Amino acid sequence: MFHWLEKHPFFFSVAVFLVISFAGLVEILPNFAQQSRPTIGTAPYSTLELAGRHVYIKNSCNACHSQLVRPFKSETDRYGHYSLSGEYAYDRPFLWGSKRTGPDLMRVGNYRTTDWHENHMKDPASVVPGSIMPAYRWMYINNTDINTAFAEQLTIAQFFSVPYNKPVPMKDGSSIIVKMGGSVAEANALALEEAKVIVADMKDQDVKDAVARGEIPEIVAIIAYMNSLK
Amino acid sequence: MNKIYLWGIIVTVLMLVFTYIPLAISEGGLNDDIVNIITIAGAVALILITVLVVIKYVRQMQVDTATGELADENWDGIGKYKNSIPTGWAVAFLLTMVWGTWYMTIGYPVNSYSQIGEYNEDTEVHNAKYQAKYGDFTGDKLVEMGESIFLAECKVCHGINADGIDGKAADLNSRISAQTVKYVIEKGSDYQLIGSAMPMSDRNGLFNVNTGALITDAEIDIVSTFVANGMSGEGAEVYAGACAACHGADGKGMDYVAPNIATYTPALVVNILNFGKKGHMGVMPKFDRLNDKQKEAVGAYITSISK
Amino acid sequence: MENHPLEYDYTVAKMFMLTTIILGIVGMLIGVILAFQLAYPGLNLMLGEGLAEYTNFSRLRPLHTDAVVFGFTLSGIFATWYYIGQRVLKVSMAESKLLMFLGKLHFWLYLVVIVAAVVSLFMGITSSKEYAEFEWPIDILVVVVWVIFGAGMFGLIGIRREKSLYISVWYYIATFLGIAMLYLFNNMAIPTMFGVSDIGESGVGVWYHSVSMYAGTNDALVQWWYGHNAVAFGFTVPIVAMIYYFLPKESGQAIYSYKLSLLSFWALMFLYLWAGGHHLLYSTVPDWLQTMGSIFSVILILPSWGSAINMLLTMKGEWQQVAASPLIKFMVLSSTFYMFSTLEGPIQAIKSVNAIAHFTDWIVGHVHDGTLGWVGFMIMAALYHMAPRLFKREIYSKSLMTAQFWIQTVGVVLYFTSMWIAGITQGMMWRAHDEFGNLAYSFIDTVTVLHPYYVIRSVGGLLYLIGFFMFAYNIYKTMSARKVEESELQNATPMGA
Ligand code: HEC
Ligand code: HEC
Ligand code: HEC
Ligand code: HEM
Ligand code: HEM
Ligand SMILES: [Ca+2]
Ligand SMILES: [Ca+2]
Ligand SMILES: [Cu+2]
Repeated sequence: MFHWLEKHPFFFSVAVFLVISFAGLVEILPNFAQQSRPTIGTAPYSTLELAGRHVYIKNSCNACHSQLVRPFKSETDRYGHYSLSGEYAYDRPFLWGSKRTGPDLMRVGNYRTTDWHENHMKDPASVVPGSIMPAYRWMYINNTDINTAFAEQLTIAQFFSVPYNKPVPMKDGSSIIVKMGGSVAEANALALEEAKVIVADMKDQDVKDAVARGEIPEIVAIIAYMNSLK
Repeated sequence: MNKIYLWGIIVTVLMLVFTYIPLAISEGGLNDDIVNIITIAGAVALILITVLVVIKYVRQMQVDTATGELADENWDGIGKYKNSIPTGWAVAFLLTMVWGTWYMTIGYPVNSYSQIGEYNEDTEVHNAKYQAKYGDFTGDKLVEMGESIFLAECKVCHGINADGIDGKAADLNSRISAQTVKYVIEKGSDYQLIGSAMPMSDRNGLFNVNTGALITDAEIDIVSTFVANGMSGEGAEVYAGACAACHGADGKGMDYVAPNIATYTPALVVNILNFGKKGHMGVMPKFDRLNDKQKEAVGAYITSISK
Repeated sequence: MENHPLEYDYTVAKMFMLTTIILGIVGMLIGVILAFQLAYPGLNLMLGEGLAEYTNFSRLRPLHTDAVVFGFTLSGIFATWYYIGQRVLKVSMAESKLLMFLGKLHFWLYLVVIVAAVVSLFMGITSSKEYAEFEWPIDILVVVVWVIFGAGMFGLIGIRREKSLYISVWYYIATFLGIAMLYLFNNMAIPTMFGVSDIGESGVGVWYHSVSMYAGTNDALVQWWYGHNAVAFGFTVPIVAMIYYFLPKESGQAIYSYKLSLLSFWALMFLYLWAGGHHLLYSTVPDWLQTMGSIFSVILILPSWGSAINMLLTMKGEWQQVAASPLIKFMVLSSTFYMFSTLEGPIQAIKSVNAIAHFTDWIVGHVHDGTLGWVGFMIMAALYHMAPRLFKREIYSKSLMTAQFWIQTVGVVLYFTSMWIAGITQGMMWRAHDEFGNLAYSFIDTVTVLHPYYVIRSVGGLLYLIGFFMFAYNIYKTMSARKVEESELQNATPMGA
């Protein structure tokens, strides 16, 4: 039969295709049916956090940092509770990474703070001697693209029913509402509100001034994102 | 001896040495950790199997000759023999397939493995082992344990010498800096430093009984230096008049009223680890993922290094 | 017309040969820079503070992977297809104006994709998915290029004179189908310009941004089903296609066992796709899927080794050729590294081993004994074999080639042994608890300990790059050397001193 296939390229190709698509059908489709639901306490990203996530992706932080705490004692000691599937329900794309040149950041919001990030991102080795992480000084100057983050919020709310402006249940029984603007102007205003909270804990005068002027440097967005990782 | 065998031995020995190096560097070597043991075994198997199999085929290149019946077909001058499949390969392939089928249909379901189940068991064993060990640590042993935790968890902010890296975080070698005192007097403090909610009011609530008025800028400066100097020097009167009522004459604090501001105590540090705090330097995150003994141990360590 | 020999038309093969070399240099140069940046982070500022955004490790890393995967390797695949395809199917591209046109269109559009990819990655436009970083506008172009490649391939097959397909052609067809299926599924995304705000604004933000169709665990599953098989259909299947042609051709030996090639092919096709789960061990994907990934990885050893063994056995009794020809050395060592990495992979896919290996440099070591030792060596060998036939000239220098072989071999060995130590060390340090039951090391302790190994790796990588420059130079000089007769080009490649 194989010999016959080798003389009939069309059927050969069909045979190869059937053989290689088999695994996908068995392994992937079932998991799609079983939608990954958010765990209680997992909320969608706010506008500024999402913009920060874009900064993270733009600079490929995921090349060095994972966001996946594996269920080992040594990892839960270092990073906190192991990851649960539902915690990633709003992660598009997922950012688990495949290399830990730097530590996991899945829950970094629990044990690092705005002021620390401010120092660290400017010059990692000054805070952590021996660090090989690059310094991200331009983030203190370049402004964040809030509009694209807003566009993404609109898209995921419309196509994937991500619950913006709706109550999201929290672990303690309460619920919170993650706001999304109704217009570009409103979205920018919301992001600026968030930014003000962050810069209140920062020291860099230029960044503070920028936010006072209504701009949002990338560093503010990425810190908002880091703080949201819990 | 044939050169190929010599090379095989050299490569194998070198790779075994390379595999040994991590064991030598990492604390405790295999550490009784089954994962370490399996990994090293895997690495060694990888070296041995590859070297042996490659030597086998290189020997065939050296001493054997190509034989077999040629098939009729020929592409661009390339022919092919009708040789059958090498037996060793076929047997190994069959065995892995049988093993795989067995594992997927019988071994795995019967085993009903779950990685979270495994985690829970491991954690229980770990906790039981160490609780038994450090449960009644006191004194130096506790300080030593605290130091190891400090170096793993805290040094990224407080620095390896706990000096706070140029004011980026608190210098833990001395109880408190003048700046912090000043900041607290002006802004108040609300971080459950005594273990329960009992905020210290800001300057507008701080009354100096000596003068009968609210504390002044000059008084703040002077008392801050006084406290930061280990409760000595100028400013004793202001302290006595404005602060001693709560923090005690010696600054050692009073239960349920105000924390010790003269020295660190394990209890104070534990409270900071439980609730975190925010000051003029920045935010100290809470560390509630440490267990009680670990918190007590860092508390003992910080108390031991601070003046 | 059957009477005189066919004149094969290598125009397109030559074009892709050029991009193989240029993109190889670009990709590996960036790789060397990355390696040095990890050893000496000051190099993140190598062009000064102002350009740091574009020269730092994190911005360059996807450029390295994409340049070597979609630039160097893919160009090599195309170049060899446009060479091997004609010869084993016994048709010339010159016989069909349409196929010639498709071939050239394929090349030029490919070049457009490469330029767009480089520019966008430098700008930081990426979807973050490994080996699928491009945003949707480039994805669409990629699909177009791929369809043209396929059309040309099946077109050539359609007008073939050789009735049955040679083994290499099986593998090229599989490459085409596999990548087509995987790439489409993994890149499904919705452009965010379609989002509409309450007051009716749309087209908000940058036009090229999109959001993945899948979220979280599902996204990871699709990504690594893709990622693993991108390795399968980019770094394995087409490279096997090459060795099945070039090794027997260059050595003049017949393939050792047809049955073995047959069985290995179909087993590889079936088994590879199941193993993607080994990138997701101990993650939040279901346990059974992870187990499946581990099991299939182990079974996968045999079909992989099947091809390699078939190649080694083809050289049975031909040690004098191995000793005499650097070109054959490249291919023999290449299949050896193929065996090494396809045993290393399955061992790393065992859950307990992966608990240490995952996230560490041991994986990076595995990647590079595969890519440098197997993919790189094989592609260079292929080009060395093709060059005299493309340019009708003798290889410029055999001694340069021999020197290159040894320099690069040392380079690969330094690379993977240093990463072997680094990875296992780091993995064990992360897990270590001290006598009190607390973590023994802070994260930074596990970084600084790697410095010497990062230095060794950089040196190894540099040696490999130097070797690649020697290769490029040798090919360049070949193009301008003395012409040789067609008859001299039957099997072994004629080489100068
Ligand atoms: C070259 C690799 C590399 C890149 C790229 C990189 N980092 Fe890091 N990162 C490290 C290393 C190594 C450490 C550990 C040493 C230290 O804390 O500086 C680290 C530490 C961190 C930490 C502290 C985490 C902790 O638990 O202590 C944060 C937060 C962080 N990085 C964020 C980022 C962000 C955000 C980016 C991208 C904009 C980024 N990193 C890019 C290597 C990198
Ligand atoms: C009414 C009682 C009261 C008075 C008077 C008072 N304190 Fe306090 N102080 C407290 C309490 C309660 C806290 C703990 C607040 C908390 O939990 O954050 C505190 C906290 C502090 C701290 C913070 C310790 C740390 O580690 O951050 C400093 C410093 C301090 N007091 C200094 C002073 C000085 C100096 C004065 C006098 C000028 C003063 N306090 C007067 C009740 C008082
Ligand atoms: C993310 C950075 C960070 C980490 C990690 C951190 N700290 Fe702190 N810590 C700070 C900062 C910043 C302050 C100072 C807050 C202020 O401005 O008063 C502080 C203050 C403290 C104080 C109070 C000093 C005082 O008198 O007010 C103690 C005690 C302390 N840290 C102990 C620890 C211990 C123990 C650990 C590790 C288990 C730790 N810290 C980890 C940032 C950190
Ligand atoms: C039998 C064959 C193979 C198996 C079972 C296998 C298995 C693995 C495993 C387990 C990982 C690590 C996943 C992780 O923990 O992060 C991995 C990573 C990788 N392997 Fe292989 N491997 C095989 C062959 C190869 C070959 C021949 C190459 C290339 C020439 C290759 C290239 C890669 C690459 C590039 C990665 C890194 C993926 C990433 O994380 O970015 N593999 N492989
Ligand atoms: C001169 C030679 C090369 C050097 C010095 C080099 C160096 C590097 C470095 C430093 C990294 C990043 C590792 C990390 O993040 O820790 C990397 C990643 C990678 N390289 Fe190379 N590289 C070279 C050649 C190649 C070639 C020729 C290929 C493919 C044909 C390749 C494929 C890859 C891949 C797939 C990754 C990603 C691995 C992963 O994510 O796990 N490299 N390389
Ligand atoms: Ca990777
Ligand atoms: Ca894409
Ligand atoms: Cu894989």
